Parts: sequence; C-alpha cells; structure tokens
Amino acid sequence: MSAAELTDAQDRRAPAGAAPVGPGRLPWRREAVAMLVGFAVLALLPFVFTDSYSRHVLIMVFIYAVVASNWDLSLGYGGVFNFGHIALFGIGVYAYSLLTKLAGMDPWIAMAAGGVSAVVAAVAVTIPILRLKGIYIILVTFGFAQLVMQVIISQSEYTGGTQGLVRIPTLYVFDHNMVRDAKFAYFYIALGLLVLSTVFLRAFVRSRAGISIVALRDNEEYAVSRGISLVRQRLITLAASAFFTGVAGAFYAAYQRNASVEVFGMSLATIILSMVLLGGTGTIYGAIIAAFVLTVFSEAMADFGAWRPMITAVLILVVMLAYPGGIFGMLKSATGVFSRRWSPPS
Amino acid sequence: MALLELDGVSKAFGSLKAVDGVSFKVEAGEIFGIAGPNGSGKSTLFNVITGIPFGPDRGTVRFDGTEIQGWRGHRIARLGLARTFQRETSFDGLTVFENALMGSSFGAASQPAAAAREAAAEALEFVGLGAENFGRPAGELSVFQRKCLMLATAIAMKPRMLLLDEPASSLTKPEIDSSIELIRRTAARGITILLIEHVLTFLMSLSQHLLVLNQGTVLALGEPRAVISDARVVEAYLGTRRAAA
Repeated sequence: MSAAELTDAQDRRAPAGAAPVGPGRLPWRREAVAMLVGFAVLALLPFVFTDSYSRHVLIMVFIYAVVASNWDLSLGYGGVFNFGHIALFGIGVYAYSLLTKLAGMDPWIAMAAGGVSAVVAAVAVTIPILRLKGIYIILVTFGFAQLVMQVIISQSEYTGGTQGLVRIPTLYVFDHNMVRDAKFAYFYIALGLLVLSTVFLRAFVRSRAGISIVALRDNEEYAVSRGISLVRQRLITLAASAFFTGVAGAFYAAYQRNASVEVFGMSLATIILSMVLLGGTGTIYGAIIAAFVLTVFSEAMADFGAWRPMITAVLILVVMLAYPGGIFGMLKSATGVFSRRWSPPS
Repeated sequence: MALLELDGVSKAFGSLKAVDGVSFKVEAGEIFGIAGPNGSGKSTLFNVITGIPFGPDRGTVRFDGTEIQGWRGHRIARLGLARTFQRETSFDGLTVFENALMGSSFGAASQPAAAAREAAAEALEFVGLGAENFGRPAGELSVFQRKCLMLATAIAMKPRMLLLDEPASSLTKPEIDSSIELIRRTAARGITILLIEHVLTFLMSLSQHLLVLNQGTVLALGEPRAVISDARVVEAYLGTRRAAA
C-alpha cells in the first residue's frame, strides 16, 4: 500500500490493514501541510519585524522552543524526569565555545559537534538512571547538571570559570555581514534549526521507536513483556532529545558570542520547564507554542519590573488549572481540529 | 523434547518461599493448566519464568532447549515466550492499534513496518477487536476488551508459547465463555499455552495437563480429572473434614 493510499484510507476512517492515527493525531500528510504553513508564516516575520530587537526576541523564542520541545520528548513522551536537560544545552554552549575559540574549529562543524557532545553526555547520564525511577532520576540528573557546571568552573584556565568566555567566533554565511543586517541571517539560521529539530522530533514520536517509549512510560513491565528493551529505548530517548538541544546551545553561544555558567542555573531551567508544562506535555508543538507565548509575554511586560515573573507565574497557574493539557490542550478543545477522534459510524 | 522445562525452580522473598523447587514440563501444542489457592505462588511462577520483573533464585528454566533463567525480560519475550498479566493491562496513552503494533514490532517476529502493521491488525481482528476499534484510546476499553487487547498484543508477537495469568478474573459468565473459546482458538494457531486460573471449571474445560501448586510447591500433577479428585488437592482447596467439623 502506498503512502498516499494509506492517508486516504485513514481519512475514510481506517478500514482493516491501514494504520490509523492515534487519538487526536492528524494523518501525517495533513500534519506535514500544517507544519509547512506554520513555518512559512514564521519565515515571513522578518519582513514584518524589521528592527533588530524584535528579531532578537524571535531568535530567543526559536532557541527556547528547540530546547523545550526536545525536553518534551524525554519528559512528556518518555516520562523520564531528566532534570539535566538544561545541562545538555550548556554542554552545547561550551563545546562550541571551546572548539571554535581554543581549537580553531570551523563554526558550522563546531555547531554539529555541540550536538554530538550533548548526545555523548546524555548517554553517559542515562546509564546510571536505567534502574532508577521517579524522584531518584531527578536527583541523579540534577546532580549531573551541577557536576558539569562545577567541572567547567574548575577548569577556568580554558573555560574562564565563573567569568565565562567572551569573543567567541560566530557563524558565517559566505561573505554576508552578520552584524549589520539587523539579525536577518541569525533569524533564518535559528528558524532553520527549529524546523530541523521539529521535523526530527515529530517523525521520531510517530515512528514505532517513538510509540515504544510511550509504551514504556505507560507500563514498563508490560512493555518489556512485549519485547521492548528498557535499556535500549531509554538510551535512544535521551540521545534523541540531546542532539538538537546541544546544537541549540552551540547556536546560542555563536549568537551571543559569549558563554557563562548561568546556562546551568535554575533560572533558565525553570523558564524552559514552564514552557514544556504550559504548552502541554507529549505534543512537541505545545512546547514550541509556549516558548513563543512566554517569551513574547515576558518581553511585553518589561515595564512591570519585579512584577513580571509573578504575573507570569499566575498566568501559568490559571492556564494549567483551567486546561491541564496546557496551551495545546486549550487549542485542541477550542478548534477541534486536532481532536478528530475515532467515532464509530452511526 | 518439551517446549518448556522447569527444574527445581525457587524464588524467595526474605523468609517466604514463594516458589519452592518446582519442576514440570510442557509439551509443544498442549494447554497446560496451573491451579492453586490464592498466595500459592502461581503468579510468582510466571514472573520467574518470563523474567518480568525477576528470574528465579535457583533452578533452571529451559525454553526449547535454551536455558533462559537470568535473561532480561525483553529477550525472553523475543525468544517466543509471551505472557499476559492478571490485571487487565494496556498502554493507555496509545490507541488500540498502536498497542498491538508494539507486540508485532518488538516481539519474536520483530517485523518491518508494513508486516508489523498487518500482523497487528490480524491479531486484533482475531480477538474480536475489529477495525472500528483501532483508533480508540486503549484506556477507553471495557475490562473484557482490555483483556482481549492484552491477548492480541501477545499474539501479534507471534510467540511459540503463551502464559496466561488468570484470564477469567473479574469477568462475567458470558465473557468467561468467550474467553474459553478464544483460548481454544489461540491454541489452534499452534501456540502452546500455559494457563493460570483459580476457577477450576475453566481449567478443567481447557487443559490437557493440570498442576496444582500449594505454598510454592507442586501438590499434584497429571491428567485433570485425576488431579482434582486427589485428596490432597481437595484438602488444599476446601480444608479437611476434621477441621471443618
């Protein structure tokens, strides 16, 4: 059966043999079109927002969106309480910074290396948590994040310690001047990163490997009894969530041109976690939408000073109380577009 | 050669010997029943055979000649030894179809995508969960449907042997009759069945061999009619006349 036939079959409410989509899950072709439209709209934004400040906010939205949506893979889909996710971002930041500044590596290659470093770190932290559950996973992964930070602080000769690193080499696009284009090029690099990351994440969660990590989350013993390897799928989950997180860290370092251990702090972790939860876990898109909402909201309230985080916190509480499924759940019930549930023919 | 062979299998929790030196053989193609009062070690026996969540402390478990005690659960499953659980179990966050797809994708057959989809659909139809149920969230199903789904995910694995842990528990009389029929049809597919149940009539109508466990040890083993008329079995289930008087 061809892919086209499969999609048509799903639209006719799945006769036997076709693979129906999950509850509230769009057929892949329809999702691809929706995704394309969404990203096309984002790609037009620099023509609306021509000032570098607005573009800066959008670039930060894209970086946060990548980090938050990848966290949703391990936390929302996999149910693994990986509180070291932000450390993977930080590892991307420092891998890029050290490789370009000290080793003189090409920035683009260093960006990929930032992703690979995060994957290696994710595998290393997965091994000790394989036999752990719940709060113990939080302890170990949180400890891992602190450990990475302490190592970076202690190696101040290379990393600048608590002072951080400055004048980090940045990305280049042929001979294009990256500084005097009001962040035009950075915008599209950041958007490209978000597109690649999102396509990867959605393809992964729709694959059999992606479904199996939800099976493990729902019932570990039952999943194992069906031949699913806990060790293998946990490693895949964490590694898959690490790559674009690390690349986002590398891009962040290239964009800001400095690195500091603040990226390992609770403040950033809290912001990103709010995005994952506010957006609605186990959706990927929710985290992306929430990154947009929270960042723009926070910028819009810049005049409120110290009130800002408090207003944000209240907003999160209100949304979560009204819609436990987060913003994505709110959109679902508002539009009904995403919730085309199976209903037997009447 | 027997398909499944246990020799001196034991499992203790502290001082409690849940399974104590159990040995028996299951021949390929038969339905083998295991009975016993509550707490006699039936479910623990299934756990140590399948390695989910733990293997035995002592003794050997041979499946088709391969010693599997100490193997991880998913490897035992892939060898062709599938099990169900006493409580109706499902992946609630997934659809009915995705539940079965997990069995066909990761089980003994471990098939490529298209074949796995086909095997999943076939297994679901086989247990009576037709295409109209495929897109439903598994969490929405009734108790009986969830039990059927659990069986379908096991059949989708294309196992050689299936361990059924109290398939009749919390079912109504008509549902129990459907289950008996379904288990017969499953056996007719060439799947050897090891069946735990404490409803004796259920076991009597299905099994070719019956083993009775009591306090972790084998109390009786043989042809079902002979086993249930054994005085020791009657005593384990009902107590002695003297005690009752």
